Formats: sequence, structure tokens, C-alpha cells
Amino acid sequence: MAELLKNSLGTLSFDESSGVATLTMAMEGGVNKVNDAFGLGLNEALDTLAQLDGLKGLVLASAHRDFCVGADIDMLYKLTDPADVFSMVSQINALFRKLETFGKPVVAALTGTALGGGFELALACHHRIALNDARIQVGLPEVMLGVIPGAGGTQRLPRLIGIQPAVELMAQGARVRAPKAKGKGLVDALVDTPEQLLDAARAWIVANPRAKQPWESRSFAFPGGVQPQTTDAMNLYTAASAMLYDKTAGALCAPEVLLQVVQEGCRMSFERSLEREARAFTKLATSGQAKDMMRTLWYHKNAADKHEGLPRAEAENIEKIAILGAGMMGAGLASICAQAGYSVVIKDIAQAPLDAAEKRVRDNLKAMRHLSADEREEVAGRVSYTLELELLRGTDLVIEAVVENLEVKHKVIAEVEPLLAGGAIFASNTSALPISDLAKASAHPERFIGLHYFSPVEKMPLLEIIRGEATSDETLGRCLRFAKRTKKTPIVVNDGYAFYTTRLFSAYTLEGVQLVAEGHDPRLVEWGARTAGMIVGPLQVFDEVTLTLGLKAMEGASAYGYHLADLPGVALLRTLVNEHDRLGKAHGAGFYDYEKGRRKGIWSGLTELTPPPPAETGIDIVRRRLMLIQAAEVGRVLDDGVLQRHRDAEVGAILGLGFAPGTGGPLSWMQRQGLAALVHELEEAAAKWGDRYAPSPTLRDMADKGEVFFRD
Amino acid sequence: MPEAFIYDAVRTPRGKGKSSGSLYVQRPIDLAATALASLRDRTGLDTSLVDDVVLGCVTQAKEQGACIARFAALQAGYDLDAPGSTVNRFCGSGLEAVNSAASMVGSGFFDCAIGGGVESMSRVPMGSDGGAIFDVSQQWSFGSVPQGISADLIATMRGYSRADVDAFALESQRRAGRAIEAGVHQGSLVPVLDESGLPILAVDELPRPDSTLEGLGKLQPAFEMMGRQFKLDTLVRKQYPHVHRVEHVHTAGNSSGIVDGAAAVLLGNAELGQRLGITPRARVRSMAVVGEEPLIMLTGPMPATRKALQRAGMSVGDIDLFEVNEAFASVVLAFMEELDVPHDKVNLWGGAIAYGHPLGATGAMLLNTALDALEQKGLGTACITLCIGGGMGIATIIERV
Repeated sequence: MAELLKNSLGTLSFDESSGVATLTMAMEGGVNKVNDAFGLGLNEALDTLAQLDGLKGLVLASAHRDFCVGADIDMLYKLTDPADVFSMVSQINALFRKLETFGKPVVAALTGTALGGGFELALACHHRIALNDARIQVGLPEVMLGVIPGAGGTQRLPRLIGIQPAVELMAQGARVRAPKAKGKGLVDALVDTPEQLLDAARAWIVANPRAKQPWESRSFAFPGGVQPQTTDAMNLYTAASAMLYDKTAGALCAPEVLLQVVQEGCRMSFERSLEREARAFTKLATSGQAKDMMRTLWYHKNAADKHEGLPRAEAENIEKIAILGAGMMGAGLASICAQAGYSVVIKDIAQAPLDAAEKRVRDNLKAMRHLSADEREEVAGRVSYTLELELLRGTDLVIEAVVENLEVKHKVIAEVEPLLAGGAIFASNTSALPISDLAKASAHPERFIGLHYFSPVEKMPLLEIIRGEATSDETLGRCLRFAKRTKKTPIVVNDGYAFYTTRLFSAYTLEGVQLVAEGHDPRLVEWGARTAGMIVGPLQVFDEVTLTLGLKAMEGASAYGYHLADLPGVALLRTLVNEHDRLGKAHGAGFYDYEKGRRKGIWSGLTELTPPPPAETGIDIVRRRLMLIQAAEVGRVLDDGVLQRHRDAEVGAILGLGFAPGTGGPLSWMQRQGLAALVHELEEAAAKWGDRYAPSPTLRDMADKGEVFFRD
Repeated sequence: MPEAFIYDAVRTPRGKGKSSGSLYVQRPIDLAATALASLRDRTGLDTSLVDDVVLGCVTQAKEQGACIARFAALQAGYDLDAPGSTVNRFCGSGLEAVNSAASMVGSGFFDCAIGGGVESMSRVPMGSDGGAIFDVSQQWSFGSVPQGISADLIATMRGYSRADVDAFALESQRRAGRAIEAGVHQGSLVPVLDESGLPILAVDELPRPDSTLEGLGKLQPAFEMMGRQFKLDTLVRKQYPHVHRVEHVHTAGNSSGIVDGAAAVLLGNAELGQRLGITPRARVRSMAVVGEEPLIMLTGPMPATRKALQRAGMSVGDIDLFEVNEAFASVVLAFMEELDVPHDKVNLWGGAIAYGHPLGATGAMLLNTALDALEQKGLGTACITLCIGGGMGIATIIERV
């Protein structure tokens, strides 16, 4: 193997005996990403190869863990002039075209993950071979950041695997693990080792000396049977469009544009379809929605995952974990801890929940197809189930998930703490009770902390960590390490009743009920929330957490100075619970009717409990109010010093509560409205609908000074 | 009777009608919406006043199917009250749409209507809509032939040589070149932008002002092979038994170019101008459509013009300027010869040979061009006329006010 070139992209070498060249991407910083250095490097490599005698083909490989992580978001985020974005993507397109029309077969050797622009690079190759390894992912998840694939993905993928599967994959932003990618046509072959991969790539090149992309052929037809501009295509797009709208309620731009670009581009010549995609990409990439989504779901989420700006602990020192309470949360926690390799004891005061917990742990494992039966058994074996306190001995971390009652929790803390290992951390999974109040029962308040998880904990990516007054940096640092091992994105907030997420959640859900109690059509309330981008409408959420729990929380809140009992919304909750036995989904009746556990329409009796619609009603008003109330509440949370980092407000709301992802989070949303205008609007809202809408001093102050939450 | 006034007219530039053309990346609806939005913005039109949006479109299939006029109006942000209809009179469609709008206003049934047209020949190629015209039975009944052969037949029967048609084409290119350089179209051209506002095309893409007779002379006759080898020339004898040989003189250089584009014209009664605070630029004096022998197909402009003149009580000499669509050079040569109109009154700024002929939009574009020319030359009346497939012709006479 002779080295021909070494540049900003990597190393180009040539094996004379086989005639196959290998371009091994090895960009600075440990990841290969599509940026200027990438472009210059690839271009130079192609020019070098064009001069080479005896070249049979090219293998594109990576020296890093990932094949290529895609577009350089840092670069893209900063670009605000459409002309700059268009020029950038046009250059990438020209380069990828150069690669695929290079005249020799090009094989992508996927020894690592290829997402977004990285997978688009692989799509511009003539053949894709991947290691048969579940850690390797491929896909085009661009819509998750408010954009669409911009380097030909929207055009190559439908031409490679068919319109329908391509639309499904891209609209969902799905990532596919290598072993499954072959069945979906995303890779052409799977091999077991890196050596086999290079051999297979070379063999394919030798066997296919005249390889060219199928779409270069005059007789090209779309795979999967559906051809553009047919009635089949018309039906497909109509259904796909409606199904997307059903998911987004029109609150996200990117999936809609994606569908449009696939539909239009597939009618066009391949070459020019790239321009169509580039123009659509440009519009999205320079839009406020994409910038807000990138800021939160890329920068802030990454910063949170890297624990930026947070205390660090030298070591985690956690091996054995005890979970108190074998409810849904306790069982879920046991499950994720065991999967992360911890030894887990789950304790309850009754056998039935313990049995249920064991079933849940095992069911979760069954769904993990990439584990062998032995591996599953090993994970399951890490969890023990007990009624005895004695088994908690030597525990390094306790997470209590017992009933939300200060006295009960105090009792449990006093009971358990003496059994723990030296230096053990006691964590409460309370969703509201102040950690410092709970810590009063602890002999080691510096090792007492709040770890607030979201249900179902196996799926929900967020962990809200609450620092009590006495919680030490060391304790926090160890919990952050624990969060990382259990694959949770942490936000860290200060103590205070209901912390951050529960306050935002309560403001949203209670205002939904309040709107109904004022006479607004509950269907408008639910749909209004969805069109604002909220993942689930407030009444549906209320049904899911149960109305009784909501009422209890509200009563609990009054002890901490939150007096909501006079709100008509709370009265409506009481009426539903006490007089109509409508407790929520689990009870089979709440704001909605249920049939065998499935949600039907809004309960028809609801309107009889509420006044006729007020003069000022309609989708725009309910939508606006549901957002304004959350803005007002976050403003108060800022006043109270609970939020220490703006990023936590954003990441916590979207990852924990299903706050409208297209907004980038409540602070980003507020900033888009303009703080001065928002404060004014909140004042008006407070006058019309109650003081809970009033802009907090922090918001007023920021508006007065012309400050913003995020400067880019 | 109310009068039908022309308040304003706009058009997009014409882009090359193939997949390498600039406008290929825009859907037909985008082109039409560009023209409609510009017309509204220039005039301050309250679009809830629009009684109809009538757009000409010839190949009403695929992206141009399903009444594109209505959806173009919606996409342009017109009031939901503004309806839309799409008309097809082949190459006369754009003028037909203007005439239709003018008729409704002139009759008093409507107060305000928009006429115009759209055609993306790059995205929806001619013939994509099929049609009875291609049925064998039509060939046997009427001996219909492709238009180019009809154009060659006209040249053959009238004795226009290859040199004659090439000279006409060269003059069209030269006139277009001078006109573009002088910026005569600037007032009517609306640039086509993408969704971010980035420019896609701001000027007509097809003209080749540096054309030469030598260059034009080198081009192969476009219809010779189908005429001779595939025997289509013989079909001519069904109607013209004395023509034993068709001289194939038309080439890509002296025929209209295939392009994409859209146009829109605002028509209304006198009250509309008062309501919007705008003054009309012209009035529609008369109009005519005619049918005639469908095999020769392209001689309609002459009878259509005569009919329009007659209805206006005018004679050829009363018309200051003619816009005769340059579908093929022989069409305009025949028009000038038969009506005895000097070339300096016809197609002042060149025609479709230079700019291209976006089928459904051309009529509205020519009317727009004629109006611009009248204003810029300080003249009063113009006649716009086009030959039409199936053996038809259309003409409209306008007069500045």
C-alpha cells in the first residue's frame, strides 16, 4: 500500500496489486464531519485519483469510531445569510456528484456510525458495506434539528430504497442499527470484522468495474413499485402528508418540507433535484425554528450530556443501588440501573409489587434484541427483590420512590440510612417536595439529593437533579457520573417546591383545566396545545397522571405558599373526582372517555359542568394562553433562583415534559416573541385572566434592559 | 356597456424549457404565483375584489393539471374569495384568458378579473396531456400534421426560402438584443425567487443576440426527418394535393423556443381604478377567435385580426403596432405579406424566436409587451395575435387611455 496523499480529511493510499485505493477519513478532533476541511480534502483526493493509472476503484473508510457524523452543526448554526447556506450545500452537492460520477466504483466501508451528512456521503457511494454491529447506526435524522437532509439525501434515498420507506425513515428522523439496515436496503452487505470489510469492498470493486448509480441509467425506475406522478404516488403522498400532520399538528416545518421536496424532487432530473433540495434546505436552515432547535437539541443537550459547567467528582463510588418502592417508577429504575451494570436491590413493603417489578425488568430485557439470552439473564440476575431492610446493607446509592408524603419519607430515610455503606448517597425521586426539607431527616444532608425521573423512566431521557441546601459538590458530581452510566441527560436545579419541571408541568396542565372551566371547548384546548407544538394536550396529560394526583399535589402545594384552590379549574377537578368518579385514564374515565383502556372522545358530560364559551374564545386564544401561562411560570422559576442555567430550562422542558420541540424550549419561545412584547402581553393577560399570568420581575427587568436569554 | 380596462400587466422572465433551464427548479404553480403576487403588490389590489383568475395553460397534466389557476391564486396569497379557472386554447391560451377576463368585465358581469397564463415546458413537456388530436382517426379525417410541418407547408406554398426565414429569425434576435439592452422589459419583468428570496432568474434566458445568418444557416431542418422519412409530408396532400414536396426550412433557430414562464394581466371596470386609486393603462377594443383549415393550422392570425378589426370598426392602417406570435418565422412572414403590414410595425422588440414561447402564457406576455411598446413609443393602438393548434387564430386589439 503506497500512501498517495495526506490532507485535512485523511489519508489516501493505493494498493497497486488490486488497483484499489483507500481514502481513510481521519479528521482532527476525533470525528469526521462535513465542513470546509472535509470538502477540500475529498476534492483533492478525487483529483489525485483522476491522475492515477491502474485505478480500479475507491474504498471510503474511517480511522475514527464513527464513519462520519454529518454536517458541521457549528458551521451551519452560525450561517444566517441564505446565500451562504445555499452556496455551502451547493458545493457539497457538487462534490458528492463528483464522487458518484467519478467513473470508478466507490464503496463506503461503514466501520462506524454514519448519520445525516455522513450517511449522505455513503449514499453518494455506489455500494455500502457495514460491520454487523448494533452500535453502528445509519440514518438521516436531520428533521430532529429542524432541517432536512441537505447533501442529496432526500433525493438519493427514495431512488435507492423507494419513495415510501425513504419518506418514513427521513420524516421520523429514524436511526437504524447496522444489523437491521441491510433489510431496509440502507446498506448492501454486512460483514463481521473490519478486515472482512476491506476484503469485501475490494472484491465488490473488482466484480463491478463499471459501477454507476442506478439513477444515472436511462431505464431507471424507483424501487418499491411507486413511480412519481402516478395515482399510487398521489395516494402515498396524500396519506403520508396527513399522517405527518396528525403527528406534528403543523407545528414543525421540517417534516412538511421534507415530504414536499421528496415529492417534487422525484419528478425531476436527479441533477436538478439536488438544487431543489438545496433551496428548501437553505430556507429551513436559516429559519428561527431550526436555529432554536439546534441551540437546544444540539448545543444545550450536548452541553448537558457533557455536564458542562457542573461540579465533577473524581470517582463515582457507586456499585450497589437500592430502590425503595417497587411501583412503576421503582421497577423502571431497577431496570435501567441493572442494564448499566449496577447491582440493584429493590425493596417494598408488599410482595405483589415486587413480583410485578420483576416481570417488568424481565419484559424490558426481552425487548432488547441485541442482547443474547445469557446476557439478558446476567442483567436480570443483578436485581434482587426484597421485603427486608437487611438486604439494603452496604448500598452506595439509595433512590426512594415511596409515596409523596413528607412524614413517610422522613421515616424511611431514618430507617434506611444507618444500613448504608460509608459515603452513601440518599436520593429522593420526589417530584415536588423540597429536598432540603426531606434532608432534615438525614444524618448526612451533604449526601442527600433529589433525582427526579420521568415516567416511563426506561424511555424518558431526562433526569432533573435537585441540589438541597446542604448537598455537596462531590455528591452532585457522583450523581452526574451515575446519570451518564444510566444514559440520562441531566439538568441541575436548585431546591424549591416542585423544582423546575413540575412547576412548568403544573402550570400547563392546570391552565388546560382552567380554560375548560371558563367554558372554552375542551377539544379546542387539546388541539390548541398540539398546534402550539406541545406533544400531548393538557387534559390528556391530566388523565394520564390521574386527576386525584393532581388534586393532591395542589393541596400539597398550599403548604408551600401556592394557593390555587380558588381557581375554577381546581373546583372542576374536584367535581370530576368527587361527584362523577372520573379519576383519569387508569380508572377508565377522566376528561376523556375510555374503552378498554383506549382513549375515545372528550366526555360528553363535561360541558354540563362548565359555563357556555366566553365571548373571547377560539383556537388562537387557547393556544396563546397555554404558552403564555408557561412563560409566566418559567419567569417565576427564574425569580426564585431554581434555574441556574438557561440551558436547563430548555433541555428540561423538551426532554422531560414534551414541551414544543420546535420552539427550542420556553426561554427560546419567549425570546422569539420579543421579551418587551411578551411582558406587555403578559400584563394584559394578567388583567384579563388572573395574576398567574403576570410577568415576573426577572422578565420585566430583562425586557427593560433589552436583555435576551441567548446570544448566538 | 362597461369598458374593460387593463390596469397592469407583469410577466416572469422566460427560462430555457429543459432540465438545465433556470426555471426548471420551480413548479409551474410557483411561476404563476410569482406573477399573480407581483400583480397584486404593484397595484395594491385588494384580491377579495377579484371575480376570477383565468389562466391559460396548454399542457394541463401532472403539475399543471387540476385547475392550476385556483391553486396558484391561493399560493400567491390571494383572498380565499378569489376563484380560478384554467383555459386551454393551445398557443392562444394566454390571450384567451385575458380575453375571457376582459369579456366578463366588459359585459358587466364582473368588476375585476385577472387573465394570464403559465407553462413550464421543462417540467410538463408538450403532449404530456395526450388528447384526441393525436388519434389516428383525426389524422385520417383531417390529415393533421405536427406544427413544424404546417409551418414548412406555409413557407412552401408562399415561397419563403430558408434564407427568408433565417433572415427573419436573425432580425428577431437582433431586435430582442437591442430591446433587452435598452431595458424595455424592466417595468414588466418580475424576477423569480426561491423560498429564501434568493434569485433564480431575473432576465429572459433564451435570446441569442449574437446570432448570425451563418450560424442559423448551419442548423438542421427540424421537421425534415419526420416529414420525409416517416412520410408525414404525404399527409399534407389530403388537403393540398398540388404540394408534391414540402420544403423543410424551419429549424430550432427560426422557430419559437421552448421555455418556462408565467404572466398576469389585471382587468377591471372604471370603478375598480377609482376604488384602488390607480389609472388604467389601456382598454380592450375588440377581440376575435377563428377556426380554419386545421392541417395548415397556423394561418389563423390573418382572419382573426381581420375579424377583430372589423368588430372595432378599424382597418389595418389604424393599428400602430402588431404583436404576432413567432411560433415559426413563416407564420409572421405570411401575416405581414397577406395584411400588407411593414415589418417595422410588427414585433418591435423581437418575438418568440428569440425569447421563447411558453405555450399557455405567451398570449398574455405579448399583450404585456405590446402595451409596454405603445407606452414607450408614445403610440395608441396595438393588435396582438397568435396562431393556434387545430387550425385556429386569436386576436385582441388594445388602445391606450
